[in-house]
This record gives sequence, C-alpha cells and structure tokens, in this order.
Amino acid sequence: MNHAMPLDQVLMVIALSTYVIGSLVLVMYFFSREEWQRNLGAPLVIAGCVAQFAQLVARYELTGVWPLLNLYGSLSFFSAMSVLIFILFAFRYRLWFAGGFVVAIAALFLAYGLTWNEGTLPAVPSLQSYWAKIHVPIVVSSYAAFTVAAVLSALYLLKYYFDRSFQARLEPAAALATPTSITTSSQMTIQSAVQIRVRRDTPAIEAAAESGNIVARWLSTLPALAQIDVLIYRVVAVGLPLLTVGIITGAWWAKEAWGAYWQWDPKETAALALWIFYAIYMHLHTRNAWRGVRSAWLGVWGLPLMLFVYLGVNIVIGNGSQHSYKL
Amino acid sequence: MAARAQVASLYGDFVRTWSNVLFAVSLFVVWGVLTIIGVVVDQNRDPSVYFSTYATPVARLILRLGLDNVYHSAAYVGIIGLILSSLAVCTFKRVIPARLPPLRAVKIDHLPLHASVDTALDPATAQARVDDFFSKRGWRVRKRELGGVEWTFADKHDWARRGVLIAHLGFVIIAAGTTIYWALGFSGETAVLTGQTVSIPRTATTLTLHDFQYRIQPIATKAGIVYQPIDYVSHVTVVGRDGRAHDATIRVNHPINVDGTLFYQAAYGFGVRFAVTHYGKPLTDLSGQTLKEGDVLTLPDTTRQVQYSQFAGTIDRQTGMAAADPRTNDPGVVLNVFDGGQPIGTTLAPIGKSVDLGGGFSIVPQRYIMYSGLQYRFDPGIPLVGIGALVLLAGLCISFYFLPARLHVRVDRAGEHSTVGLAATTVKGYDIFEAQFADLIGALPRSLEAAQ
Repeated sequence: MNHAMPLDQVLMVIALSTYVIGSLVLVMYFFSREEWQRNLGAPLVIAGCVAQFAQLVARYELTGVWPLLNLYGSLSFFSAMSVLIFILFAFRYRLWFAGGFVVAIAALFLAYGLTWNEGTLPAVPSLQSYWAKIHVPIVVSSYAAFTVAAVLSALYLLKYYFDRSFQARLEPAAALATPTSITTSSQMTIQSAVQIRVRRDTPAIEAAAESGNIVARWLSTLPALAQIDVLIYRVVAVGLPLLTVGIITGAWWAKEAWGAYWQWDPKETAALALWIFYAIYMHLHTRNAWRGVRSAWLGVWGLPLMLFVYLGVNIVIGNGSQHSYKL
Repeated sequence: MAARAQVASLYGDFVRTWSNVLFAVSLFVVWGVLTIIGVVVDQNRDPSVYFSTYATPVARLILRLGLDNVYHSAAYVGIIGLILSSLAVCTFKRVIPARLPPLRAVKIDHLPLHASVDTALDPATAQARVDDFFSKRGWRVRKRELGGVEWTFADKHDWARRGVLIAHLGFVIIAAGTTIYWALGFSGETAVLTGQTVSIPRTATTLTLHDFQYRIQPIATKAGIVYQPIDYVSHVTVVGRDGRAHDATIRVNHPINVDGTLFYQAAYGFGVRFAVTHYGKPLTDLSGQTLKEGDVLTLPDTTRQVQYSQFAGTIDRQTGMAAADPRTNDPGVVLNVFDGGQPIGTTLAPIGKSVDLGGGFSIVPQRYIMYSGLQYRFDPGIPLVGIGALVLLAGLCISFYFLPARLHVRVDRAGEHSTVGLAATTVKGYDIFEAQFADLIGALPRSLEAAQ
C-alpha cells in the first residue's frame, strides 16, 4: 500500500512550515534588527513562496483542473501572491522589517485554505473558460496587494500613535521642536557643498530615543512616517489597477458566459465597492491633509472590506450569486 | 446688475463645490455604501423574504427605502449622475488647467523639497552645467528670465499630467456605452421546449430547439458524493434576418451571434405534461399543456390551484423523498396545492403515479421533456464600454506609475563662488519624490566638479 504523500501536498507542507518559521524569524528581526535574522528569514520566506507556486503548478499537473477555481486553491494563491508582492517591495524598498506580519497573515490564510480542500472537482460549465486563468489570478493578486498595504498602514499607525504618546510626555518646549532640520551631506568638498532639507516627522520619538527610551529607539529604526505613507500608496497603486483589470476581465467573462457584462451580482458589486473604497483612498491621497494618518486608517480599514469581498460574499452571503459557481 | 453678480457668484460656488475632490469623495462614499447595501440585502425578492430574514422594523425599512432594488433606485442612478457631473466639472476646472502649469519663479526656501549646492564655478558656467546635467538625465529643460533672474525649469514625465484626464475620459466613454445600451439595446430570456420553435421579440430571429443535453458527473469527495455539472448544450436551428436556417450549438461560455444579438445558454429544466381527471373523466383543456417549473393549473369551478413547483431527478424509494442525484433515474415532481391562494399541501409525485387533489380531482405527471433557458442580448454599446475600460485603465496606470515632477533652479553669485538653488514640486506632494530628489542632488556636485 502506497502511503506516499502527493507532490502538491509535500510542497504545501514545505510552504506552510517555511512561512511559519520565516515569519517568526522576521518578527524577531522587526524587534531586534539583528542582520542575521533578516538573512535567515528572507530566504525562508522566498523558499516558501517558491514552494507554494510550485504546489499550484503541481496540483494543476496532477489533476488537470485549474487550481484557482475553489476556495482552497484561491486562498493558496492569495497567500502566495501576498508574499510575492511583499518580497518584491522588500527588495526594492528594504521592507523586510514588516515581513513577519505579512508572512504570518499569508500562513494564516494558507492554513485556513487547507480546511476548504474537498478534493478535486472538475470545473462547472460556467468556469470552463480561458478567462478563469486570467480573471481569477488578477483579482486575487489585487487582494494580496491590499493586504500588504494594510500591514504597512498598521505599522504607520503604530509609529504615529507612539510618537503622539511620547509627545504628550515631553516638556512643551521639546514637543514644539521644529519638525524639520537642515543636515549637511557627507559629500561636502572644498569646491561644493550640498544642503538638503530632510524631514523628521516623529520628533518626539527621536527625542525619547536620544534620552534612552528602548521602545523609542526601536521605533526610530522604522522608516519615517512620510516614507511609510509613500510605500502604502505605492502598494495600493499596484492593487487598484489589478482590481480594475480584474473587474474588466470579469465583466468580459460575464458577457461571454451570462450574456451581460454587468449583472449586479453580489460578488461583482462587492468588488465594485472595494474599487470605490480604494478610489477614495487615491483621491484623498492627492490632498496634503489626508496623506499620512488618515490615509493609513483607510489602508487598515481596507483589509476587513477586502476580506468581506473575497470571503464574506461567498461564505456568508453566497445566496443568489453567480459566483457560487452554478449555472 | 446685482442679479447678474448673484448668478455669477452662485455659478462660482457651484463650480468650486463640484470640482472639489472632497465633494467627489463624498459622492464616492455614498455610492460605495449603497453598493454594499445592495450586496448585503438580497435584491429583488418578494417582500415576504425580507420579513422572514430580518426583524419586522428592518424589513419595513428595507422596503420603504427601496433597498430591495437599490441598484435601480433613483438614489443610486442619481449618485452616479452626480459623480459624472462632478467628474466633468473637475476635469474642466482643475484637471485640464493643471496639465501644463505655467513656468514661474518660486521662493526656493519656502518649498519643502529644496536644496542648495555651492560651487566654485561662475554663475553662467554653473547654469550651463546644471542644464546639461538634467538634460542628460532625460529632464526637459527650459529657461526663462523672470524678474531679472534667469531660471531653469526641468520637467520629467510632463506628458503623464494627462493621466487623470485620461482616466476621467475612460469613465465618460463607459457611461456613453452604457447609455447606448439603455437607448438602443434590449435583452430577455426564453425557455424553449425540445422540438419547439420560438420567435425572439424585437428581432427577426426564430429559434428551434432540437435537443438539450446535460452531463452531470458523480464525484467522491471528502464531504461525500458531489454531482458536478460538466456540460450544458443546446442544439438549435436559427433563422435570422436573411431567412436562411443555420444549425448551431449553444454552450455556456460559447454564445452564438445572430444579426448582432447574442444568445447564451442560461438555464435548463423539465417541462411536464399532466393528465388531470375529475371523477375519472379526463379534463382535456388542462391535460394538453406542458408546464414548466412554477406554472400553475387552476381546477375548473373551484378555488383550488396546483403548482408544478420542482422537478426531482431521482426519488429515493425508501424514504419517498427527492435524492441528491439530479440525473433522471427515477424522476418525480413536487406539487404545491393552494386553495384561495393559501397553501394547503405539498407532495412529491413520481412520474406516472396519480395524486388525489380532493373534490374528485386527480393529477398524474405523465411525461417530461427538457427545455433550454436561453438569454439573448443586443448591446451596441459594448465596444464603447470596452474602449472606455481600457482608457480608464491606461489613465490609472499613467497616474500611478509616472510622476510628473518639476525642478525650479536658479544660480546666484556668492562672492567668488556660485550657489545653485533647487526646489522640486510634483503632482503628488513632496514625500514621494524625496528619495529621487536626494539622489539627484547627490549626483549634481560630482557632475559640476567633474566638468571643471
């Protein structure tokens, strides 16, 4: 009797294990900033992500059924894309400090997805379309981007409210210290000198760190609030066009399958609501007064809304939705 | 005169409000909330469904506010109309004027993103080298003398200032495509019994269903046997405007096009012919019809009605209940009996078995025949909607991924040396350009020195 685990399940176990260990190591890195922890955590997370994509490919090869047509495969892809988008941003913007949280969320959804593994079912007629290979991955990728944005938004709020807390404890004179300062670059030479005005947007944290507060010293290692705000914007700027393409491709598919590109189906209208939410974010981000803490709150609130659209509509509401995958 | 000033003032207020981003955002919020309400509250259901789902005051609220059909309510259409009007005003008032901002002198120290570079070069040489520095890096350099000072303006991704304009244009095109459908398009559904020919309203098309086939596969899963639908297919003959008959196959995801009207496989069901008798005497008027699910027979000279509610593919002979297997192994029908509109009973009747309806009436579901549910739709607005969607997407990508930035540069003599003052502005604030600006300013002195 052969008790060997199928390749896709082996890869799933590898992915889940490396995510759990990698996220723990990166959470340690978040608090300690020991380089070895980043150097260990990052490859683990990358390996997990590779294993997860390999698992999806293996499942497709083994069953011949596009793996994203059920919640098990979809959640697996969602967690893989969350990690992939994070990795790309981490390399580009040195974001590894936030990795532990993103990967922990990814691992959580991957584990939750396992509970939906009912075996392999062939696709129902409405899902037997090439659009399934275009529409579903794009929409799920947009959800993944919004998850990364929510984690960064939470970190923004953490630093912001700690700064406010330190500010309240400081002497009034120190609290009112100028938020900007002039620094001189190290590139000064006899023939040229450079002066760049740089932003210090958490003066209370800087002051508390200088006075030896451990939490403040740790918080001061996070990027400036303005930088985190820009990062959140950049991640949302990945997610919103993906969601737009997802809605467009979904409408095109609906036109082919059901005769109308828009049917006011609960899933598609929920996706529209999510699109409206992030369109609001983008519009508000054009205004100085709305950048920063207000935008970060929007980024955090985007996560429950995204989860409602992604899972809530299918699992909780479900009734009458064309996305319940019946003819 | 005063009236004209009042109108002008009113017009000014209107334009300011309608072009304000916060006004647009407020409209978006209302749109989003209404959309979510439509997701949470089941749409277009019978009022009794809301009373059975929600507490009575909530159900009443849903019905009174029209939240049971929110997407076609005046509020929903109105909010979309307001968004489009706000978008139009904002486009002409803000977006288009902001496309090409004028070149003007700025107080460099007053802009949050600014820097100064000291150099031993004389001002003219320094200015020339600064211009050269930015030109080589792909910046569009323009020079202007403003207030007796020579300014250099370096722009990057100037063309991308049109991104928002393009995105707004995409919305307008989508709205135009949708309007064309409302004005000229139509859609509908038809259920065609096997062997039946139907004429499609508003078209010159007739359609004959020769055969409807479905394939359902029983699959063992962890949760038990699942009867998974695999294929639904209608074999039809269509006669279009040209009067010629064409054989065609309609499948899910594979509609057919007849003179611009698309026909889609949407549903299927079982038509059933019933034999109705009264004290053993056949009632031919009632027995000649083939009923579809939901159809009703009214028994003559009574207030009693029989509804063919549902077709059951397989009846479990042990329990007498409908089994999970939807295939037609041992079929039956679910009948609901009403008297004076009030339900008085429900029964599952196997095909061929008589059911006593009381009052001497009996009914026998004699035979079943499959029908195909087809949707048809003529939508001349689709190409425009598609183009609009692509234009919207292009506008979003331009707006998000290209950052139009402007550098304001002036060179001032500082004794024997010169000071290059630079300030940057972008359409998305200052923070987003901080790193790039620092890189530029870091490279500038090296470039100035290397040239010496």
